[in-house]
Amino acid sequence: METQVQELVGAVHDAAWQPWAVQYFFLIAISVTALLMALPAFVFGRHTDLRAARLALMVAVTTGITAPIALLADLHQPFRFWEFFVYTHKSSWMAWGAWIVPSYVVLMLLFAWSLHRPEFYRMGQDDWRFAWLFRLFSLGGAANGFARPLGMLAGVAALGILTYTGMEVMVVRARPLWNTPFLPLQFAATGVVGALGVMLVLERLLNRDAGLEATINRRLAIALATVGALGVAWFAVALSGISPVHSEALASVAGFSVWKQIALWGAASIAIPFVLALTLPQSTGWITGLIAIHAAWMFRWTVFMGGQAVPKVGSGLYDALMPSGLGGLMGVIGTFGLWVFLMIVYTTFLPWTDATPPASGQSFGQTQSKPARTQEI
Amino acid sequence: MDTTRRGFLGAIGQVTIGAAASVAGASQSAEAAEESHVPHWGMVVDLRKCIGCQACTVACIMENAVPEDAFRTHVSVYELVKDGQDPAMVMLPRLCNHCDDPPCLPVCPVEATFKAENGEVLVDASKCVGCAYCVQACPYDARFINHETQVADKCTFCFHRTQHGLLPACVETCVGGARNFGDLNDPDSEVSIMLRENEVSVLRPEMHTNPNVYYIGLDDVLDGRVAGDSAYHPEMTGQAHAHGEGL
Repeated sequence: METQVQELVGAVHDAAWQPWAVQYFFLIAISVTALLMALPAFVFGRHTDLRAARLALMVAVTTGITAPIALLADLHQPFRFWEFFVYTHKSSWMAWGAWIVPSYVVLMLLFAWSLHRPEFYRMGQDDWRFAWLFRLFSLGGAANGFARPLGMLAGVAALGILTYTGMEVMVVRARPLWNTPFLPLQFAATGVVGALGVMLVLERLLNRDAGLEATINRRLAIALATVGALGVAWFAVALSGISPVHSEALASVAGFSVWKQIALWGAASIAIPFVLALTLPQSTGWITGLIAIHAAWMFRWTVFMGGQAVPKVGSGLYDALMPSGLGGLMGVIGTFGLWVFLMIVYTTFLPWTDATPPASGQSFGQTQSKPARTQEI
Repeated sequence: MDTTRRGFLGAIGQVTIGAAASVAGASQSAEAAEESHVPHWGMVVDLRKCIGCQACTVACIMENAVPEDAFRTHVSVYELVKDGQDPAMVMLPRLCNHCDDPPCLPVCPVEATFKAENGEVLVDASKCVGCAYCVQACPYDARFINHETQVADKCTFCFHRTQHGLLPACVETCVGGARNFGDLNDPDSEVSIMLRENEVSVLRPEMHTNPNVYYIGLDDVLDGRVAGDSAYHPEMTGQAHAHGEGL
């Protein structure tokens, strides 16, 4: 029986998760994946990777501070945030996230501080105007043997963030586009793409080293290939019908021309930087970096705002995909503005080029008598 | 408790008379059974009687001070054309289904959403942080963030009214008697009788939420996400307004 349906009267539901949420998921994914990329050099002693690791650390710290602020802004009752810690509901992934996020931020900041501590101490010993400030930063010592355990703990917290952010969205059965087991993996893989994109842009701004550019570009190509493979697998599973949730996810948006355009745009955002990064790794950092950032951001925008544009019971699409009004725009501009501000502060006031892993064999609490200042950038 | 206005008030009378009878020497076991009985509220919507007048929508808004950009309940109206026959207008009142397995409940990070003794799914507004996770989790689009209170908002089955023996405002005002409310635990209530005597269905059965809102005469094409052309959707401005009285 063929039935045609025309909705004559229906309610419109605006997006309950605003662009602030997109910014949070975008920035926190970049932060945790950047931190994980910094660990081989700073924790496991892979010194050849130190320059890329310093960029990764910078990205992890600046986005890691910005992200929770965006999250708080998305709460409609931000001053009740303390209730997360008083009334923790164990069945809610968001409740677990409320504990994991601050743990990650604190551990990540302590880890970054410990890597800079020897240089803080040295700067505090010099005779100059702000020496007192760096003596304060160093807490009167240069020891950073505890950086390794801190880095490992921060790494575990980063994995916790990847798990909770993915699961929090994936468990929402009411939104078919979110309710696929692929989603946490896609969040993680696109997070790596975004982090490498930001690192490439910063490399072009701050380092301008063709070798480093090529190194990061090659890693970006691998990350983009992973994202592309996940995307192809997602479509294959959805089309094959072997997984009802994937088929339902595809069916929820299939047939809308705007979603076809989004799919094509997304594919281009992956394919173009992949080809460029693979074929011209030494001269395309700006363009591959910017497209990679765009790809990671667009994925989240599409998932969150696009997912909320699909009615659960009504017909057609809501206009959440492109919400009007200044509120949403300010969420995006505001968080990017805060991140740029933190980047300026970080590169201006912190000796980020001297972030150093603890010397081999240095024990917990041991003080470096005269920390070496690394000139390698 | 009964389902129609007259039946509901009659049921209150029965409770009062029952209390008097126990004083007069009714058996203790009957009294204990009466006291231990906990109603489980439910609604049966007879779509054959709904005329799409939206009186329930307006009554709910006025009763519960629902902001202008949201609804706790409304009546969706569809035009159905089957096999090229003449088009038919179909009404579908929508509201929170007060599920026995509500997906909005486990996701709430601060336990602000809870299941009340009589089956209502309620929100403790003093506890809600406005994270909107429950809004995402509800498969019926029955929740929203109230932009005046900045917390999650939804149908309560007019908890403040039922606590005092009154019917929900939407049931009270329903012109055609399409909305029927009562105690699903009472086999003699009108809703229980309607469930026994009619073929009923629920919205989104595939979600396995065990809803307490039932429909008589629900077309299969409308029980999930309705695949069809949508109504005109005005551009959302993000501005919150209150329902003003008068012009």
